[in-house]
Amino acid sequence: MKVSYNWLKDFVDIDVSPEVLASKLTVSGFEVEEITYQNEHLHDVYVGKITKMEKHKDADKLQVCTVDVGDKVVQIITSATNVFEGAVVPVSLEGADLCNGVKIKPTNFRGVKSDGMFCSGEELGIDENYIEGGGVNGILILPESMKIGEKIEDALMLNDVVFDINVTPNRPDCNSVIGIAREISALYNLPLKEVDYSYKTCGEDVNNFVSVEVQTKKCPRYMASYIKDLNLTRSPLYFRARLFASGIKPINTIVDITNYVLLEQGQPMHAFDYEHLAGKKIVVRDAKKGEKISVLNGNTYELDENDMVIADAERPVVIAGVIGGVNSCVTPSTKATVFECAVFDLKSVRLTSRKIGVSTDSSLRYSKGVYVNTPINALKRALHLVDELGAGKIVDGIIDKYSVITRQRSFTEPMSKVDKILGIKIERERVLQILNSLGLNATLTNDTLRVNPPFYREDIECANDIAEELIRIYGYDVYNNLEGEAFENSTVTVGAYEPRLVFENTLKNQLVDYGFYETLNYSLYSATACEKLLINDERKNVIKIANPISEELSTVRTVMAHALLLDIKFNLSVGNKNLKFFEAGRVYQPKALPLTELPMENNRLSIAVCEEGYDFFMLKNVMENLLISTSLKYKLVRSTEPYLHSGVSADIIAGDGKKVGYFGKIHPKVLKNYDISHDVYYAELDTDYLSSLKEKTYAVKEVSKFAEVERDIAVVVDEEVTNGELTFAIKSACGKLFAGVELFDIYRSASLGENKKSLAYKIHLLNEEKTMTADEINAVVKKVLKSLEFRYKAKLRA
Amino acid sequence: MKEKLEQILKDALKEIDECADAKSLDEVRVQVLGKQGALTAILRNMREVPMEERKEVGSLANGVREKVENALKKRGESLEEKALSLSMEKEKVDITMPSVGVKKGALHPLTRFNNKFMDICVAMGFTVIQGPEIDTDYYNFEALNVPKNHPARDMQDSLYITDNILLRTQTSNMQVHAMEELKPPFKIVCPGRVYRNDDDSSHSPIFNQFEALVVDENVGLKDLMKMIDVILKRLFGENVKMRVRPAYFPFTEPSIEIDATCQMCQGKGCSLCKGTGFSEVFGAGVVNPKVLEMSGIDSKKYSGFAFGPGIDRSVMVTNKIPNIKYLFRNDMRFLKQMR
Repeated sequence: MKVSYNWLKDFVDIDVSPEVLASKLTVSGFEVEEITYQNEHLHDVYVGKITKMEKHKDADKLQVCTVDVGDKVVQIITSATNVFEGAVVPVSLEGADLCNGVKIKPTNFRGVKSDGMFCSGEELGIDENYIEGGGVNGILILPESMKIGEKIEDALMLNDVVFDINVTPNRPDCNSVIGIAREISALYNLPLKEVDYSYKTCGEDVNNFVSVEVQTKKCPRYMASYIKDLNLTRSPLYFRARLFASGIKPINTIVDITNYVLLEQGQPMHAFDYEHLAGKKIVVRDAKKGEKISVLNGNTYELDENDMVIADAERPVVIAGVIGGVNSCVTPSTKATVFECAVFDLKSVRLTSRKIGVSTDSSLRYSKGVYVNTPINALKRALHLVDELGAGKIVDGIIDKYSVITRQRSFTEPMSKVDKILGIKIERERVLQILNSLGLNATLTNDTLRVNPPFYREDIECANDIAEELIRIYGYDVYNNLEGEAFENSTVTVGAYEPRLVFENTLKNQLVDYGFYETLNYSLYSATACEKLLINDERKNVIKIANPISEELSTVRTVMAHALLLDIKFNLSVGNKNLKFFEAGRVYQPKALPLTELPMENNRLSIAVCEEGYDFFMLKNVMENLLISTSLKYKLVRSTEPYLHSGVSADIIAGDGKKVGYFGKIHPKVLKNYDISHDVYYAELDTDYLSSLKEKTYAVKEVSKFAEVERDIAVVVDEEVTNGELTFAIKSACGKLFAGVELFDIYRSASLGENKKSLAYKIHLLNEEKTMTADEINAVVKKVLKSLEFRYKAKLRA
Repeated sequence: MKEKLEQILKDALKEIDECADAKSLDEVRVQVLGKQGALTAILRNMREVPMEERKEVGSLANGVREKVENALKKRGESLEEKALSLSMEKEKVDITMPSVGVKKGALHPLTRFNNKFMDICVAMGFTVIQGPEIDTDYYNFEALNVPKNHPARDMQDSLYITDNILLRTQTSNMQVHAMEELKPPFKIVCPGRVYRNDDDSSHSPIFNQFEALVVDENVGLKDLMKMIDVILKRLFGENVKMRVRPAYFPFTEPSIEIDATCQMCQGKGCSLCKGTGFSEVFGAGVVNPKVLEMSGIDSKKYSGFAFGPGIDRSVMVTNKIPNIKYLFRNDMRFLKQMR
């Protein structure tokens, strides 16, 4: 919100610079986001009078002007056609740096010197709305009454400083100059000056001219008054200057007054053209479905029952709180007006404003909240200004329809409680001074603090609120040099991680050591994800967002793979290679759709690899190493995951039969769906399950005194026989002497025969009691070979 | 005899000195000290030396033996050293050749920041917990004193699934879950994802927050300020400066916003901090007693404070990440820089 420094000074005698004030406001809770100096580009520009004009002797289009700028006479050469002898104009002299970027220095025009330049309104940053002639394509001709030699910023009242203040939602009262002025008065302990709410009336009765009927609950108060014999001129310059500084376009006295009150009091107002109010009646009601209204921004909007309108006897004339209709607005020919000063439900205004995409100064203030009592003074203030500007005659009486009454509140809190919240004790005298300067009417009796907040401080309800008011004015700096530590008077607690996070971090760090990079993807994805992954089980039942940002973010993920495949696709498309990714994230599985209870949120660790030469067994190695530090006892079975290659994938099955993970090659059809032309390997682990397992324990056996012996064998078997079957058979045949077995070679050739392979194993044997003799070893090997032959028709390879 | 011994010594030392390898050195050893060696011969024939000279010649001979042995040993060592350095010279590698083996990957910068932050909190007595990202209106808004007509509760700002279930807009929902499930005193911290109906060049619809909550007897603003001072120093270094601005959050009162020295420019002023030298790191405040009461905690006995940083921005600033969209794009060219 833009707030004028000069305007604030109407209410408080501020004696600090704008910068100091801005930082003080910021540290007290009203963040000043920007300070703008209106005169930044107006220095070295003065009011001058053209005393003589003659044609340049060598240039037809140039005029040589002698100009009185007060303390001296200068010569200005101009090509402007709208200047004349005797004209009062803005004159920029050496050093000026105008709004449009023009920098002034003395120049020679074909042998004749020019000391500067006459200025247009645009060069001074103003327009026709601000001053007559401000928008002409030529020089701004100033009123003759202006003082020659005066600085232009003073003459045109462009010497204000504007603060852009961020007002927090709990302080709607401060969306106004008066609200910020109250804060400043408290911050500096300066008195707040009286505001003039007085006005005189011309007799008659408002009720004879207009009636108000409120038919909706969304309008707790509607006040109106009637002004006739309007004098719709430009407002005085000081008045326009205030509006202009605050970012509002001056129009005419009546419209300007409504805007002035909006800025000063935080109360939006509307002025109707009385002649165009059908039935001389104002009806506040919910809009009818399909009802249309053409408004001041040039558009026509269709409304429904959720919107609120102000209507006359026949049609809607205003979208309540948002924007006025063209059919009843004040125009230069308006003779009499009805002022509206009302309170509308903030949510209703906000929703309508958003729906139709129209945001106005009025809708912004209503959306933040206007108090039921705010219109009382605001309307008086508006009428005072009508009087002050001579804008019209005010008819006796004010219409005031209200359904809510605000009572004076009062409550007590122990002062010691406030001290406890703050952790410091502020001097009692200062406590009362701060609270009273904020208008809270506080008294302190022993430990009992009583406050009587005014209607505009609905946010003050308990000790915490009082603590906040105190400390934000007293200053948070107090804590900077305070002795002591945190938690001096409270309990010692022992910190801990959630076990799953510890587990997940262990796996993550391990994967990083294996060369993997962690990715993070959105947990929302396209509704087509499961289809692309060929998923046809419960994971298809994705939760849909009711108001999605886009199709790509329209459902909540039930599968991690989708995003990782997209990551791979993206990286390949930008030329990145050797992609090894992992991601820890959640999948969200609804128990039923549509959602009636919260879904299950399960944590997963997923891995995706797209690297030249990578294969299933490399991924298997990663998985084994990740799982070895857990107490999980598992077996691998052929995977049933629809998006994995059925022959090159495995499910990890825990002892209790639960599938706790899977890994393998991505199904060729899925790769095609994602338009990926390289093999991708993928794995996923259920980290909720794995981290819930009991910690792995160790029971170390005595290390044998005797050395292991090794024997190599190579057997030829049918392709269908698996390594798992053979190693299990070897282990069984070795019995107690078994100390390990490793596959170290696989060989296939025509000489072995069709559908045959040769597997070579190194068998480790150990007798715990003695050194094994060659005969003993040979006997075991023989037994192994016999068993392999019997079970799998394995032949010793020659 | 003496002369003979001296001649043996002289000859032996000369030969030893001339030896170029271990083999010739061994030959010298055999020549002098071997069974047929010159010195051995003398010692063997001691009996022929007159009685009165025997002692002197004996000790002289032993002296020669010792000297020869020492010279042999020394020369041997030096030859060995020379041979070793020669063979090492041959084994010399080009140390600028690439390393062999797996190159380490990297954690995502958000994870790294998360871990650092959690470590700090755990060390200060906080327990890390996590909870639902899809939650009810009650936990996300109602129980946090967010008024019914607050803009955040409109569809426009939040991602809803049903009228009553939404993707949490803040990790503050965990305050309520914690207060319902834990008995004070407790200190908890909850990292997690939050969701907003917002997606443009400077906003992600999904981002990351922390929520820290302390509930105990006798905790207040002073504890909060002192604790945050410690946290900021551990996060950003001892020189970090802190600035406090009053703020508004429905669930805390008083509420503050905490700015710390901008980590992008180290306080010099940059486009990110709009020249102020500070950037916002935490929202914080004393828990609103209404919030305590709604979750069944006696606000007369207990008080609390909460703070929650949005961490994406801190991650960007501390890692000088130029665009917030990098965080979820998973481009290897970005991820590789995080090694």
